[in-house]
Amino acid sequence: MFVIRHFEENLVGLHGKGVFGGHYHLYVGQEATGVPALACLDADDYLFTTHRNHGHLLARGAEPKKLFAEILGRVDGLNKGKGGSFHSVAPGLGFLHSSGVVAGIIPLSTGTAYASKAQKNGRLTVCLFGDGSLEEGAAPEAFNIASLLKLPVLFLCENNGKYGEGRAVAAAQSGSMAAYPLTDLPKAYKIPAQQIDGIDAGLVHATISEAVEKIRRGEGPQFVEAQTVRYPGSATNWPTVPAPTDTTLAWDVSQVPENAREWYRSADPLLVYVRELVEANQAKREEIAALESQVKSAIAAAVDFAVNSPYPKPEEAERDFFAKSPL
Amino acid sequence: MAIKKENSKDVIELLRRMWLIRAFEEKVSALYAERQIVGLLHLGIGQEAVAVGALSLLRADDLVYGGHRSHGHAIAKGADVNKLMAEIAGRASGYCGGRGGSMHIVAKECGFITATGVVGGTIPLALGAAFAAKERKKGQLTVVFFGDGAGQSGPFHESLNIASLWQLPVIFVCENNGYAEFTPLSAHTKIERLAQHAKTYGIPADTVDGNDLFAVRATMRKAVDQCRAGKGPIFVECLTHRMRGHYEGDPAKYRELSQLAEWKKKDPIARVAGALKRQKALTDKELAKMASEAQALAERAAQFALASPWPQADAVADQVYAVANT
Amino acid sequence: MRELAYYEAKFEALDEIMSGDERVHLINGTFMSLSPHRHVYQNLQKKFKERIFSPPISELGFCGLATGAAMAGLRPIVDLSTGSFIYEAWPQVANEAANAYSMSGGQTRVPVVFHLFHGLRGGGAAQHSGSPQAMLWNVPGLEIVIPSSPRDVKGLLKSAVASDNPTIFVDHTRLLEIRGEVADNDKPIPFGVADIKRVGSDVTLVATSYTVQVALQAAEKLAKDGIEVEVVDPRTLVPFDLVTILSSVEKTHRVIIADETHQSCGVAAEIAARIAETGFDKLKAPIRRVSTLDVPVPYSPGLEAHIGPSEARIMDAVRAALA
Repeated sequence: MFVIRHFEENLVGLHGKGVFGGHYHLYVGQEATGVPALACLDADDYLFTTHRNHGHLLARGAEPKKLFAEILGRVDGLNKGKGGSFHSVAPGLGFLHSSGVVAGIIPLSTGTAYASKAQKNGRLTVCLFGDGSLEEGAAPEAFNIASLLKLPVLFLCENNGKYGEGRAVAAAQSGSMAAYPLTDLPKAYKIPAQQIDGIDAGLVHATISEAVEKIRRGEGPQFVEAQTVRYPGSATNWPTVPAPTDTTLAWDVSQVPENAREWYRSADPLLVYVRELVEANQAKREEIAALESQVKSAIAAAVDFAVNSPYPKPEEAERDFFAKSPL
Repeated sequence: MAIKKENSKDVIELLRRMWLIRAFEEKVSALYAERQIVGLLHLGIGQEAVAVGALSLLRADDLVYGGHRSHGHAIAKGADVNKLMAEIAGRASGYCGGRGGSMHIVAKECGFITATGVVGGTIPLALGAAFAAKERKKGQLTVVFFGDGAGQSGPFHESLNIASLWQLPVIFVCENNGYAEFTPLSAHTKIERLAQHAKTYGIPADTVDGNDLFAVRATMRKAVDQCRAGKGPIFVECLTHRMRGHYEGDPAKYRELSQLAEWKKKDPIARVAGALKRQKALTDKELAKMASEAQALAERAAQFALASPWPQADAVADQVYAVANT
Repeated sequence: MRELAYYEAKFEALDEIMSGDERVHLINGTFMSLSPHRHVYQNLQKKFKERIFSPPISELGFCGLATGAAMAGLRPIVDLSTGSFIYEAWPQVANEAANAYSMSGGQTRVPVVFHLFHGLRGGGAAQHSGSPQAMLWNVPGLEIVIPSSPRDVKGLLKSAVASDNPTIFVDHTRLLEIRGEVADNDKPIPFGVADIKRVGSDVTLVATSYTVQVALQAAEKLAKDGIEVEVVDPRTLVPFDLVTILSSVEKTHRVIIADETHQSCGVAAEIAARIAETGFDKLKAPIRRVSTLDVPVPYSPGLEAHIGPSEARIMDAVRAALA
């Protein structure tokens, strides 16, 4: 979780300095969903994610330096600079494709699930998307097909609700989706669906473990809606960092601007987890601070690597868009 | 059957309209067999109670959108059967000058805005009409017809969501005849009643016997009242059956003969006729006369169509772009 | 050598492909549209039940499924049936499948085939008569295959499935009944190799799909007037064999391109541009296109016949080129 948090915060800094351009989307505030959820998977399972993919890739083990390089459009990036933030892939980790089109990955995830069922290889597919995806027609089409064919796919919907009004708001009726709760949509297709608090790492892990078990037993698709509260730095089109993360924030938010304090105090999943660990005597504050320090150094080194990685040669644009023909 | 709630004079008129649709469709079928009509053709024989039941409660200025099986919808909304037949036969005197054909009927003068060849294609369009109607504040309603096959399409869901969010004055009428082209609904989805989808988006929904004219009318009456009062969209699912194949020429081997026999017993026209007879509102002779009058109108439409000239080929590019009204 | 109907060759291809590679799955239609022979597909359905899926009317959904399945190692063939229905699946075909290999820096392959029937079918009207291949040619990352004979459909379908790239297989219902020779041990036909369907010396007539057959008929008639037309069939639009066409133009100095996509930005337009750019010095007359007029396809039979690349229009164009 520290890796994700510091990765994302560094990205904001890099964008601010003009090191890369274009839109990008942070996973800050959702770490307690991605990290424990992906820990429940096997090495050869498939994952699909959206434009908000950095956290998922890192949680699964992608190297921060290669992800930074990809976002910066450098040749050492995960996609050799051809994809950028939205389209970063890591096939070795199960990420075959990321789409920048809302709900673009949902039908694709039924495809890999269809393939693994046909090939009988026991691999399951996790489809990671946000609440907005449910507004696209592609979602119900995919749910219908997944339920019809009993496909081994876990639909994990990260509902990151509204900024700044506490956890309860994540569960609120949306102005762009008439169905409420969101779990009614998969349930209409008899897909078992549940809502959980996405800020509770332990609960996420337990819930996803169980869902994954069911899928592996052949029970067909499962749907989990994990609710979080949107990070105050996401309030505008261009992410900002209200306060750089530090373990001390878990106990003292006085350095945080007032309008963001409540979020750090009660809805930041990373800080919640830190407090849990300390209160359960599973770790000491100093140990956590030391861990964080290590992560910060590693991230700094990764940034360095990326910034110094060369850009691909312009001619590369004309290469590598067709796989060679066997004939 | 709730005929008691209806005025028998009204019912006789409704039956007359159902007969007109039936006779029209049978005539189209005969012309198709003679190759006087070509292309893709989808008949609504057996689904007359839905068209007439649903549309008989609308105002003249209400709008209707159909699907590929919409001759009956157009007729029930008041389309001229001569111009309709001519269009299906590709003649210049048809509603669209022969450019649209069976699946693309437009009879704007009577409020039948358009049919479509794309499954569910008019559902988002109907939302637009409802949106505009809401702005105009004259209580105008939009009705859109589609089949059970449209229930699995993404745009259908997107439309339910938007109609509900914006509380649009639209009535979704789903003709669930159990088959999407050549496949039974159960092979396409685990959901048995499309009304369920509407409820997921918070839209009030009813499922009725689509072959019972009076049941359809009773449900539509409630729907029309609510919708006109500005209470948002309504979904009406009518269970029915198409007596022919998906398209003319479809041998429909995927359907069991026993199923067809079952549905023949529920023939919507026979049921209304039976009810009128039991009420002594019409005699057998009068019923037979009604049928033959309908057939005569259909025959006249056929003759009109076949005697009409073909559209001029060198004018084919004339109606592609509208000319601005300056 | 045997003489087969096009639809027979096509079924043979599907059977051989399905028998030869377990990774091939068939999704959606019968690959025969409304042909009276489509019941033959039931034989495949019985033989390969586990690998044939008949989805709901959800083109976006099942084209996405096919794309995802291809990413995971299957080799699905999707039958969209009526070509215009690809518009329902456009985001998955043009924005996901086409881009995946390139934007992943070459890591993710998408060996999916999207099969469709294009063009004027006799009463299909505007929404069932589309020829989307011109629009799809403008999407980098898609291969486009467009056969016109029994031998070609068999050989090209095999190559389409063997290809690791997303491939659009453009067929035409009016080809299904034509007959032609198919070798006993036919081989897959490589992409990017055009076929000279008729040798001639006076005019090069480039045609695609069913229009190849119309072109051949026009050529027969013109031969009676002593005009020898060379009919060249590209067989694949992506990759495209310009070399064969230029050799022909070098011989004849005149070229007509006949194709069923609409004229503006159509297939003929692109071919014309390529010939003009590289073969200008070989030409003795302007390049002429015989395309479907820029009009939504009208329903009435006379109107539909009028707007297409008919035999009459092709013959007029040939004569004009020689005038």
